[in-house]
Amino acid sequence: MGDLFSADRLVEEFPKLIPYLIENLKVLLWATVFGVILGLLITGVRMKKIPILYQITVVYISFMRGTPMLVQLLLIYYGLPAFIDPILGTNISREWPPILFAYTTFILNQGAFLSSIFYGAIKGVPSGQFEAGLSVGMTKLQTFRRIIAPMAVRIALPPFGSDFVGVFHNASLVYVIGVVDIMGRAKSIGSATGHVLEAYVIVALLFIIFSMGARALFGFVGNKLDYANIKVR
Amino acid sequence: MLEIKHIRKSFGRNEVLKDVSLNVKKGEVVVILGPSGSGKTTLLRCLNFLEKADSGEITIGNKNVVIQNAGRKDILDLRRKTGFVFQNYNLFANKTALENIMEGLVTARKVPKKDARNIAEETLKWVGLHDKADYYPSQLSGGQQQRVGIARAVALNPEVILFDEPTSALDPELVGEILELIKKVATKGITMIVVTHEMTFAQDVADKVIFMDGGVVVEEGAPKEIFYRPKEERTKQFLAKFIIPDNMYYI
Ligand SMILES: Nc1ncnc2c1ncn2[C@@H]1O[C@H](COP(=O)(O)OP(=O)(O)O)[C@@H](O)[C@H]1O
Ligand SMILES: [Mg+2]
Repeated sequence: MGDLFSADRLVEEFPKLIPYLIENLKVLLWATVFGVILGLLITGVRMKKIPILYQITVVYISFMRGTPMLVQLLLIYYGLPAFIDPILGTNISREWPPILFAYTTFILNQGAFLSSIFYGAIKGVPSGQFEAGLSVGMTKLQTFRRIIAPMAVRIALPPFGSDFVGVFHNASLVYVIGVVDIMGRAKSIGSATGHVLEAYVIVALLFIIFSMGARALFGFVGNKLDYANIKVR
Repeated sequence: MLEIKHIRKSFGRNEVLKDVSLNVKKGEVVVILGPSGSGKTTLLRCLNFLEKADSGEITIGNKNVVIQNAGRKDILDLRRKTGFVFQNYNLFANKTALENIMEGLVTARKVPKKDARNIAEETLKWVGLHDKADYYPSQLSGGQQQRVGIARAVALNPEVILFDEPTSALDPELVGEILELIKKVATKGITMIVVTHEMTFAQDVADKVIFMDGGVVVEEGAPKEIFYRPKEERTKQFLAKFIIPDNMYYI
């Protein structure tokens, strides 16, 4: 087996890699914050069945769900300048750092995925709950705010948690468009030292720790929100 | 007090209510009988616009609404004059028993929270569940949930409470106590329309019994008339399906 793996190198490379995880976390943050906003807007369009916009969202969602993240990333990276520059007279392929293309892709991707989660969660609240709200004299909006939305949040939480972890995993792809993230750094350490394995082992470990941490967090919040499990004094 | 005129409602090609009219006086208890699928639930749901009828006219108290012209405000006004007790309770799953009762008072009627809490506690006591105030629906039995459902409707002090088969999702041994509670609501003088298959209950509390079949009111009258001297063949056939005491109508 020779010198393929050494614990010393593992320890040595660890601090060199860690700071680059920030890039992946930034992608995750943007994708989540703006993905939620976009996802809610799309959910609104779907709930209200707003003409034209509704048809657009259908196509958009099936595209985002039907193509691999890597393909979307490359399409945006090469396609967005070709699309935008002639219209706005800009030159974003030069002006934008690669990470902006990563944000754009991930936000668009998350908007689609999260809207599916949100929409499904709202539809998952039994219709009797809505009718009960109306029957006590609340408006549709009041019923949505006070009854449907809180329950939908509870329903959406587990798939949202899985999606959150999934986005983080997918964020490891951004190095292919030139973002120097933890994967990009692992790769460059590999080429510089001639030893690639340790860096990727570190990456894998970090991803495992993050995933487990995120799952535990979502599980904890889920239990807090679980009306059936709330203890009665 | 409550009057509906010429209500029609179709689902697609299926005409479910075919020109139904009905008159209920203040404080009256009206029981609606009829086979499954005859449109009883749809009629109740049209009354508070959970379902929008195709045409007709509804008057509750001083509020008159012609279906075709009904705006958002009209619908809200009518709903705030009615309470609804559902077959499967439909308690708010994310709210405790107490909060279930408070919700409509606070959010819809803008009753100050403190007053709403008092009303809710009073009403919960009245239905015999003062010790379950902080329980969530999932922690209550079916009978207890329906008590809360009834309390939720009663606390709003509506002009009329609509009951849609309030006991038919319950275990048989719990039916009696819920019927007792509904009788107690009746003795408060609240106007009620009750869809039920409980014939003894209907006999006991109804001021008027309505028999529906195929989307029309086939026959209506005092319980004595409907149970002992039904005029229509369809009413007779329907009643014959229930186990009827000897002194009542039989074929
Ligand atoms: N939302 C709906 N969509 C389509 N058909 C319905 C709907 N609700 C009720 N119906 C139909 O209307 C008829 C009457 O139903 P319903 O009012 O529930 O009767 P009942 O309460 O007397 O059993 C049935 O044929 C039923 O299938
Ligand atoms: Mg029914």
